[in-house]
This record gives sequence, structure tokens and C-alpha cells, in this order.
Amino acid sequence: MEIGRQHMASDFGLVSLVLALMITALVPLLFLKHAAFKTELNYNSFYFFFKISFFLILSAFIFLVISFVFSDFSILAVYENSHIDKPLFYKISGTWGNHEGSMLLFILVISLYGFLFILFSKNLNESLKSTTVFFQSIIQLIFLFFLIFTSNPFEKIIPVPNQGLGLNPILQDPLLAAHPPFLYLGYVGFSLLFSLLLAGLITNQYSANWASIAKRWIFLPWTFLTFGIALGSFWAYYELGWGGYWFWDPVENASLMPWIASTALIHSILVMEKAKKLFNWTAILAILTFVLSLFGTFLVRSGILNSVHAFANDPRRGFFILIIISALTFAAFVIFILKSSRQGKDNASYIFLSREFSILVNNYLLIFALTVVIIGTTYPILLSVFAGESISIGPKYYNTILAPFVFVFLILMAIGPYLKWGKNFFSVVRFKFINILLVSIFLTAIISFILQKQDIVFWLGIACSVYLIISIIYETYYLKFTNLNYGRLFSHAGFGLLIFSITLNYFFSKEFTTKIPLGGSANYQDFKITFVNSFSQKQKNYEELFGYYEVEKGSTKVSLKPSIRKYNQPEQFTSETSIKNQWLSDFYIAMDYSKDPSNGIGVRFYFNYFIGLIWFSFVLITLGGFLGFIQRKNEKSN
Amino acid sequence: MRFLFCIFLFIYFLSTQLAFSSLDREIEIYKNIRCLVCQGQSLNDSNSDFANDLKKIIKTKLDNNETDKQIYKYLVERYGDWILFDPPIKTKTMFLWLIPLLTLIIGFYILRKKISFSKD
Amino acid sequence: MKNQIKIVILGLLVSIFIFIFYFGLGSNTKNNPQVMVFKKLPAIELRSLYDNNIKISLPRLNQEKFYIINIWASWCTPCRDEHPLLMKLGIEKKIKIFGINYKDNQASARSFLKDLGNPFYYVGIDPDGTNSIELGAYGVPETYIIDSKGIIVLKHVGPLNNDVYKKILTKIE
Repeated sequence: MEIGRQHMASDFGLVSLVLALMITALVPLLFLKHAAFKTELNYNSFYFFFKISFFLILSAFIFLVISFVFSDFSILAVYENSHIDKPLFYKISGTWGNHEGSMLLFILVISLYGFLFILFSKNLNESLKSTTVFFQSIIQLIFLFFLIFTSNPFEKIIPVPNQGLGLNPILQDPLLAAHPPFLYLGYVGFSLLFSLLLAGLITNQYSANWASIAKRWIFLPWTFLTFGIALGSFWAYYELGWGGYWFWDPVENASLMPWIASTALIHSILVMEKAKKLFNWTAILAILTFVLSLFGTFLVRSGILNSVHAFANDPRRGFFILIIISALTFAAFVIFILKSSRQGKDNASYIFLSREFSILVNNYLLIFALTVVIIGTTYPILLSVFAGESISIGPKYYNTILAPFVFVFLILMAIGPYLKWGKNFFSVVRFKFINILLVSIFLTAIISFILQKQDIVFWLGIACSVYLIISIIYETYYLKFTNLNYGRLFSHAGFGLLIFSITLNYFFSKEFTTKIPLGGSANYQDFKITFVNSFSQKQKNYEELFGYYEVEKGSTKVSLKPSIRKYNQPEQFTSETSIKNQWLSDFYIAMDYSKDPSNGIGVRFYFNYFIGLIWFSFVLITLGGFLGFIQRKNEKSN
Repeated sequence: MRFLFCIFLFIYFLSTQLAFSSLDREIEIYKNIRCLVCQGQSLNDSNSDFANDLKKIIKTKLDNNETDKQIYKYLVERYGDWILFDPPIKTKTMFLWLIPLLTLIIGFYILRKKISFSKD
Repeated sequence: MKNQIKIVILGLLVSIFIFIFYFGLGSNTKNNPQVMVFKKLPAIELRSLYDNNIKISLPRLNQEKFYIINIWASWCTPCRDEHPLLMKLGIEKKIKIFGINYKDNQASARSFLKDLGNPFYYVGIDPDGTNSIELGAYGVPETYIIDSKGIIVLKHVGPLNNDVYKKILTKIE
């Protein structure tokens, strides 16, 4: 009985998926038929079909989750990525912990955005709305084809094994279960903006009004993407056990690329809306944002890059994604080239030190940062194709090139919002900037004196970020808390705080790798680490060796309990870090696996200065994006 | 304006040279070397056999007053450029720095063309 | 007309993109273990496994056309698997093999050779792994072929198998 029900779920899932493909194919056909015969489209039934396709994809996804929950090993994806003894939570998250399931989630998000767009665009004119849905359904169709024909999540395995291979232990983590869905809600969400852009161009409605409509469809995925990146960073911090929060790993960079592009877009679309300029550039950015999202997927999925985030991958799938990206890019730019010339040329000029000027410089700097990230991530691939050599590009490359950029950017973020649209208003507000500058230099001097640090980069990092934060506080005070653009205030303040805390963290964090025998201790600068005790414990799906450590720093004494887990299926070791928070700083210990613990166990100790503030900054930035999404109407007054 | 831009570029490259030289030299070297048998970790973050052996060798070399350059050369000869996280500057890696620089310059000229200085 | 030119340029760019990343998919952006191949063997001195007072340098010039260096350890399971092939090379084919015993307990290394046979012309010890790193090794087992001028002509990472065995023989003959 039980068995039969399990198989039913997977059969229903496959049927829903195939039906979804057929219904999705119907949507653009319906649209094209009416366009060809110039008849009036029955919009309600047109949207209805798209909604049906969404519910079919949703049900396919739910059936896949059910198959994972009941451990239906007749499905290849379940067999390869799950196990009966796994806790329920990881059975569910295992659904998207593999290529097939996560591609289904990917498509679900494409469809979800189309669905939400239909629901929340009641007042939109039907031609723009229906054309957008048409493009969204085409994207959905392409990826459904890809899913069913190259990575069918319901593929059967015969004979049915009675046990699965298990989920990669490093993925058995509550944060990592939440990380991919948020990331997808982010960068897959940009598909809707992409469709909206193409629809705007095709229907000749790409205008300032389009910008006001499109804004919320940038803010929403941007917020999710920011949060997804933050979650990934937080996960890497405490799961990888390397003490850091950002490694400039190719997979991290892959999510950063669309983030930078969309951040540039959030700003440029304001110019389009308020100053009725920068139309072509905004269109290019909108295309770029979605293309980079797909490109990131390609980099992660194809196995082309070497990364800590090892994902089961397959070059053949990589090739399909490559063709999809190329086709979508080509099609989008062809539409752009043919249609943009009708909207008039972008030969408008920008007045020096006007608001739009500051956004132009913002885009200039962001494109520079984007170039650095793209080049740094793809250069090893280019070099291996053209020269057959392999190189690594690590944090130092990015840090040294991007640090000065960040300093300039912070100042710009402080000044830009004070400027006025269409005129040079700088002379009026100049005194404010000088006052704020003096205050921030004064504060930097105090901080530098208290922390006993003399270093140019340190001073620049602190001064620039303090400058931004103070200018925001000043603005809030000056405007007496009325008419504030909370979205911008929060995200800008968050970014300032982020750089402030990164600077502190960079200069004051300590790290120390050593081997300590049981009962022994090790000294490093003003830290003393003692290995007090160890014991092991058996769990359902792993065996765990704990170590008790005491860390002394001056008068503070912290006890930490890191561990090594030996998982059964598949057999693999993971290191569980132990982190104790002291004010805003962390004491952090990770143990290494050792064949012979009596000989001493390797530990990595990190003292992470002000790391708590980094997480708080991420929250602020995300909150800013969310406020931007819900508050966008009030902004007109600004 | 162009003059300002040149000054900016100059300060920029000066600061990239100044940046990040304040850390402990030994750790700095470890951080720049990939632990070849690990997944994307640096020597500094790894306690694997391979990493510990390499650290030992580097430490001996540091004690023998070898320069960073000599140490990196030793490692690159044996394991290739892949072992360094900070790619060496040579003809084949030049574009890593040239392309961002070109973006800066071209972007600046486009910006310059779009801006009018009329006082309002 | 102008639009057509733009579209052609766009098409070209997209094709270049496909071209690069298509080949990128097949290429190895990761590790290249062959860096040491066609380089001169570094000077390496090894103490003997059987008498720690004896010290021999790996020959950088030799009368034989080729000889083999093999890095191994008794605790390494793949080394056990490749051992019969080493025996074939060393005993049957009478090729000189220098063994480097990597981070091992010397007594267990000796009994390993006693049980499975000793294919080596000379076994040197590498108690802290530094000699292997000098050779550019990643771990155990690894096999190198050195020609008469002391140039490394072949490097194999991992246990020997029949294909590599044939490759070694063709190289040497």
C-alpha cells in the first residue's frame, strides 16, 4: 500500500510536468495566433492558461517534495540524493539540493513571477501586460524543455534500490536549505523584468511610465538576491570553517554579478523615470542583469569552474544552458536594436553635479566593479582555452582593485542624494559636505586613536564609511523624519555600515592555525587556547567527535565546543565550527579531522572583530530593498 | 576634468600598491598559496598533510631569509601558477588589469561627453 | 542598414561567447599536474630505508637510458594495488626504480616490501614529505620517468594501471 502511494506521487509529478509543458506552449501560440490574424486576444483566458501552467509546475514540485519525504527510491534523483535515515527537514531540502530538483525550483520561480505579475498588474494596459506574459511564457517553455529532456527530476531507476546514497553532508544545514530558494527568488526573478522590457520595446511603450511600472519588479528580486547572498555568506562563515565570510569564490562571484548589474539598474531607472533620460542604457542593463543571472547558473552548473560549492554537474547540461543564454541574449538585443532607435536617441546631456550626473557616475563605477568581477571569474577559463594554462585568482586581486573603488563610491553615495534633478545645486549644499567631512575626519581620528591603528587604507575605509553614515543621519534629522525615502536610507546606511565593519574586521581580526594535544595549550599574541577535553557521540546519520576548548584573551574567558562529524551515507567528514559571540566580535574554532587524535588535533582559531555588525549591515541593506519595494509611491515628492 | 581624472588614476594605483601590506608576512604567504589537494582552500586555512608539509618548507625558506619572490618561484616551478591565489603579472595575465583600466578610461570619456558644465 | 551592421556584430559577439565557453567546458581550468614534465630533476638526497646512515642522490645524469621514481607508503591502499605492476617493471623488465617512502613508519615499510616483494633498486625515506614536494608531488602514489640527461619525461599521479604501464614501456623502449 505504502509503496503504491509513493510511486503515484512520482507519476503525478511527471504528468503535471508534461501537462505544464503543453499548456506553457499553448500560451505563446495563442498570443501569436491573435497577433498574426490581428484579432482581439481574449485576455482573461490567455492569463488563465498561464496561471494553470504555474499551478501545474507547482504541483510537480510538490509531488517531487513528497517523493523525497517518502524516500521513493524508484526516482533516480531521490536515490542519488536522499536516504531513509535522514531527518525530515533534510529530506525536504534535499529536493533542491541536486541539479534536477533545483532546476524545477528555478522554473517554478520563473512561473511564480509571471503569476504574481498577472495578479498585481490589474491597472496595466492589456497590450503591455499580455506581451510581458508572452515573453515570460517563452522563457518558461525553454527551461521546461531543458528540464524534461536533459534533467528530468522524475527519471526512474530500475530495479528500485531499497536505500539511497544520501545527501552531501555539507548541504545538511538549515541555512543552506533556505539559501537556494532565496537566491532563485532573486536572480530568476529578473526574468520578469527582462520580459517586461521586451514587451515595452515591442509595444512601443518603453517610456518614463514604463520605468515606474518596472521599478517594483527590480526591487523585489533585488531584495531576495541580497538576502540570498547574505545567507550564503553567513553559511560559508560558520559551515566551511575558514573563519571568513566572503572568499571571492567563483560561485559567490556568480551571484554577485547580477547583483551589481541590478544595483546599477535600480539607479539608472530612476533617471529614466524622473529625468526621462538614459533609456537605452537602462534597457541594456535590464538585459544584462538577466543574462548575468543565467550566466551565473551556467558557471555553477556546468562544472566549468573550480569552487568550494561542489555541485553535481555535467558538461552536456552546461552546453544547453550556454545555448539558451546565447539565444536569449541575441534575441533580446536584436529586439533592442530594432526598437530602441524609435524611442529617440540618447544624446541628452547631463548637467555637472546634478542628481542624474551622480547616478551616471554611480553606473560608471558599478560597471567598473562588474568588469573586475567578470574578468576575475572568467579569466582562468579564457586562459585555459587559449593558452592551456591554469591560474587562480584569489581575494587579493579583487581586494586591491576594488577597495579604492569602494571608497570613492561611498563618498558618491553620500553626496548624490543631496543633489537636485536637472540643475547644479552643489554650491548651495557645499557647506553641508564640508561640515560632514570635518565631523567624519574627527571621528576617524578618535577611532584611530582608541584602536591604536595608523594605516592609510584603514583611515580611508573608516573615514569614507563614516562620512556616508553621518550624511544619512544628518539628512534624517534635517528633513525631520518626514518625506524620507526609507528604502534608500536603509540600504545606503547598511552599505556604509558594511564597509565600516569590513574595514574593522579586516584590520583587527586574528587567525591562528595549530595542533594542540589533549590537555595542552597554545599561545598566540594575547590569546591562549587550551584543549580541555574531548568525547564522541553517536547520532542517527553521523558520529561526532567533540572537543572542549578554552580561549583566554586578557580577562575574558570563553569556552568553545567544535566537533568533527563522520557521516555514514555517503561517508564524509565535516567540521562543525563553534562560535561564541562577545560584544560584536566572535571567538571561532574549527577542528580538523585527525586519524590519530591522541597525537593532538589540528585547530583553526579565528578572532573575528566586529563580524556581528557585518550581518546587521546585510539585514539593513535587505530591509532597504524591501522598503523600496513597498514604499515606491511616496518617492515622487523627493 | 581630465587633469582630475589623471590624479584620480594615480592615487588609485598608488593606493592599490599601499593596500593590504600590514599583515604578518608568513600568514600573508600562506594565504596566497592554494592547498592543491583541498577544495579551494589556502594553506593558511588547511591542516591537511600536504598543507602542513608545504608550510614547513616555506618556514625553512623564510628562516633562510629568502624573499617572497624566491619562495613563489620555487612553488610555481613545481606546481604551476595555479598554486598562487594572486596571479603573477605577465603577458598572459596582463588583461586582468588592462581590461578594468580600459573600462575606467573608456567610461570616463563617455561620461565626459555626456556632461555639460552650464551653471544653472 | 545601420541596424543590420549592429546585428551582425552582435551575432559575432554571441558566437565568440559560445565558442569560448564551449571549449571552456572541455578544458581543464583546474590543476595541471604536468608542470614538472620536461624539466630537469631537482637535486634530491635520500637516506636509505634499510640503513639511515647511507645517503644517495637521485641521479641527474645516468648511464641507463631511463629510470623510474616511485613515491609510495605502506599506509596507502592504492600503493598496494599498483605494487604488482611495479614488480613487473622492476623485476621482469629490469628497470631501475628509485622508491621514495613517503611519511611512513620505517618498520611497516620494510615489512610491506618483505610481504609483497621489493621492486626497487634503492628505497629512500622521506619522513616529512619535503623531498616529494621538491619533486612537485601531490601525495602518494606518484610515478616519474627520468631520461639519461636527468629530464622528467613522464609524470603519473595516482596508482599505476595497465594503460600507464604500457605508456611507460613504450616511452622506455
